[in-house]
Amino acid sequence: MVDDDIPSTVATSEEDLLRVEDLETRFFTEEGQVNAVDGVSFAVRESDVFGIVGESGSGKSVTALSLLDLVESPGRITGGHIWYRNADLAEEHRERTPEAVDGDFVDVLQLSEGQRRALRGPSFSMIFQDAMSAFNPSLTVGEQIAEAVEVQRRAEANPRSVRSKTQGYGLGSYLSGLVLPQRDFVNRQSKLEAIELLEKVGIPDPAERADEYPSQFSGGMLQRAMIAMALAGEPDVLVADEPTTALDVTIQAQILNLLKDLQAETDMSIVLITHNLGVVARMCDRVGVMYAGEIVERGTLEDVFDDPVHPYTQGLLGSVPDLDRPGDRLHPIKGNVPDLIDSHMDDRCYFADRCPKAMERCLDPPGERQVGGEHAARCVLVDGEYDESEALADGYFEGSTAGDAAASEGSTADAAAEEATSDD
Amino acid sequence: MTDHDEPHDDARRTDDTRRTDDTRRTDEPLVSVRGLEKYYYEQDTLIDRLLRNDPVSIKAVDGVDFDVYPGETLGVVGESGCGKSTTAETLMRLREPTGGSVTFDGEEVFEMDGDRLSEFRKRAQVMFQDPFSSLDPRMTAGQIVREPLEIHGVGTREERRERAADLLERVGLSADQTDRYPHEFSGGQRQRIGFARALALEPEFIVLDEPVSALDVSVQAQVLNLLSDMQAEFDLTYLFIAHDLSVVRHICDRVAVMYLGEVVEVGPVDEIFENPDHPYTEALLESVPRADTDERDREVTALRGDVPSPRNPPSGCSFRTRCPKVIPPDEVDLPQKSYTDVTTLRNRIEREGLDLEFVWEFAGDPDREDTAAFKETMREEMFDSFDADFAGEDAAVMDEAFDALAAGEVETAAEILRERYASVCEAVNPELPDSTHPAACHLRDQPADVREAVAAWEADDGAAAGGAVGDGAPAEDAGSSAD
Repeated sequence: MVDDDIPSTVATSEEDLLRVEDLETRFFTEEGQVNAVDGVSFAVRESDVFGIVGESGSGKSVTALSLLDLVESPGRITGGHIWYRNADLAEEHRERTPEAVDGDFVDVLQLSEGQRRALRGPSFSMIFQDAMSAFNPSLTVGEQIAEAVEVQRRAEANPRSVRSKTQGYGLGSYLSGLVLPQRDFVNRQSKLEAIELLEKVGIPDPAERADEYPSQFSGGMLQRAMIAMALAGEPDVLVADEPTTALDVTIQAQILNLLKDLQAETDMSIVLITHNLGVVARMCDRVGVMYAGEIVERGTLEDVFDDPVHPYTQGLLGSVPDLDRPGDRLHPIKGNVPDLIDSHMDDRCYFADRCPKAMERCLDPPGERQVGGEHAARCVLVDGEYDESEALADGYFEGSTAGDAAASEGSTADAAAEEATSDD
Repeated sequence: MTDHDEPHDDARRTDDTRRTDDTRRTDEPLVSVRGLEKYYYEQDTLIDRLLRNDPVSIKAVDGVDFDVYPGETLGVVGESGCGKSTTAETLMRLREPTGGSVTFDGEEVFEMDGDRLSEFRKRAQVMFQDPFSSLDPRMTAGQIVREPLEIHGVGTREERRERAADLLERVGLSADQTDRYPHEFSGGQRQRIGFARALALEPEFIVLDEPVSALDVSVQAQVLNLLSDMQAEFDLTYLFIAHDLSVVRHICDRVAVMYLGEVVEVGPVDEIFENPDHPYTEALLESVPRADTDERDREVTALRGDVPSPRNPPSGCSFRTRCPKVIPPDEVDLPQKSYTDVTTLRNRIEREGLDLEFVWEFAGDPDREDTAAFKETMREEMFDSFDADFAGEDAAVMDEAFDALAAGEVETAAEILRERYASVCEAVNPELPDSTHPAACHLRDQPADVREAVAAWEADDGAAAGGAVGDGAPAEDAGSSAD
């Protein structure tokens, strides 16, 4: 929470469309509470691409789901604010829920379930990594996109009513659907719009392809179709969760070019979640680096890639083999990502056990510190250089509950092959 | 850090010497693959035979040639479905080949049996991609590493136990972890166990099938460093299969690039990455996003379309349907971009089935009366700069073809376009010539028999004004768009 930390002093901008403050999402599992998102703050500007980059298990996907309020049980958003700039929406809620409104900004998390749902589509939309499982295999691609169009069309026709949008999805219609299997929920107009959307995302022969099932599409084509579906409501913010990870590199290039073109055309903002630093460099204006549920460093692309301050960011960049300048030995980060279970996490910098520059000061949780401009990092190194006299002893974290795997890697210090695991 | 770098630098140096004498290679290859084929058949059940359905062949690996020399790492790269894993599994005799030969240390692998096969299985090992499914969940790490020793009856029980513990330590796990089960390890650690298992029998040759692609970047770097350390220490030869080009550049000495079951280019790693000869290799390299702040402004021309289905591979060069450098016939003088637009249109017509109804609807005339509007739509939608580039004969031929399409005569349109625009790339299949950096492309040096076929096609083309020769002429493709 913000009270525990040094207050964030990162400048806010007039162009901010989305301000996420101290977002916390927890999962209450049998093994214990998992702090998947642990006080995350960032801002997304209008017609900007904000990248969230991190390894698996860093909480980046849960952050994406939290933005759209799609976290499912046993997970829950337990704290924080998602301020969304929308003058109309702010006007609408200023009277009824003044605490959820700040100027033109509305705190999405304080709105009711129905109101939040109404924002999905026209305000926020999402594309997922695995298009094959995001589509219903028993409906044609065209039908599914037309359905998204239809929902938006009904919403526009009657913005106040949540019911009108879900009309046709109740028990009665389900039963009648069993008797009359040909019953259509979408009208011809929506179908034509679906074909237009498919054309817009570069699917050849869209009218023909619209009548095909997801299994008849290639991975790249289905990803395009999912983007078409996400565009149905003309969203202000598109959240793209690993949109190219499952694709081959030549198809990835096509999809990234498509997203760039669409963004230039529609002026939407994109929140891009990825583990691929190359994709971030290609697409993003601003970046947040996530580790163990926290954004450990954020700033413009140049801040983070050219002058990384946090040892994790440095380690991540050092781990990637360079296509154009080969030959150097890689400098991996030793150990593994912690499992984020609350009882396993000591109250300290979560990266300290893997950090080559861990000091005694790191045993207190570091707040976010401003480096300059928009550049901020959660690391004591912002305050001053690494001081070897304060360094933690080798194997300090050994046997601690945090990162069982990481600790055991440390214990092989005398083994011949250790140099392979921990270069630094 | 510096003292850790030293052993590695030594390894690099030997790499470099190996690379410099690459052109005059005198040593014998350890593994030599010639014309390797692996076909799968659809519609090949008993019922299909009774119904006399012709089996459909899927050429997963279609005539692959390469050599792996002792002590080197040969990378095999390509997109999913290009046959790289099947190639590796077939050459290891984990799958029955349809044709071709593989020699290991001078001996034919596909003819081995009994003791010889067992000996081969000791000397050649595999490490798999998926750290979750490649280890038996009911065996401990120690048992997994001991298993190959037990199968081949190496040493006494106690020796095997010691050797397993030693191997696990070498790959960076501790002795007290030998009794743990796979699920207790992280992905990177599981790959270490898989690697320790591959090392157990002191092999000379290890196939690494996407060993790091399931891992996070920081862990991936750990495993890559381990692989190069072990190679230097045990003098191993690797066949490294990967789709991540930056990893390949980092770890490989030579690279083979595969597309649709064929090797399209082989060469020393620096040459492949700095002077790629095949347009596909070029496109692959261009597609990779670099982790660099200049990346945003880099212009990337993505390849067109998807990889064609191996059930219906293109005739001639399999890459020609997506190739930005497809070769126009001599008499055609169009800018390359417009010529590739023509080939894209021809592919749509001949291979994929162009949706004429949609074109009419797009032209705003679903009743199919306004031919001028139809033609205008075709020119606008299918070409970047039709009006500027197409003149004289080209404009006339295209006009004729559009007329045929507007009349619904798809076959005629295909015929008209083929007559003028048929490319050597669709008529003759390019092959890998015998050199240190060969590329299977008509733009590069080609073996004598390919050159003869090209000359024959050109002569035939000139005389008959069209019509293709060789296997899988495009005419056969025209009707088979229903896939």
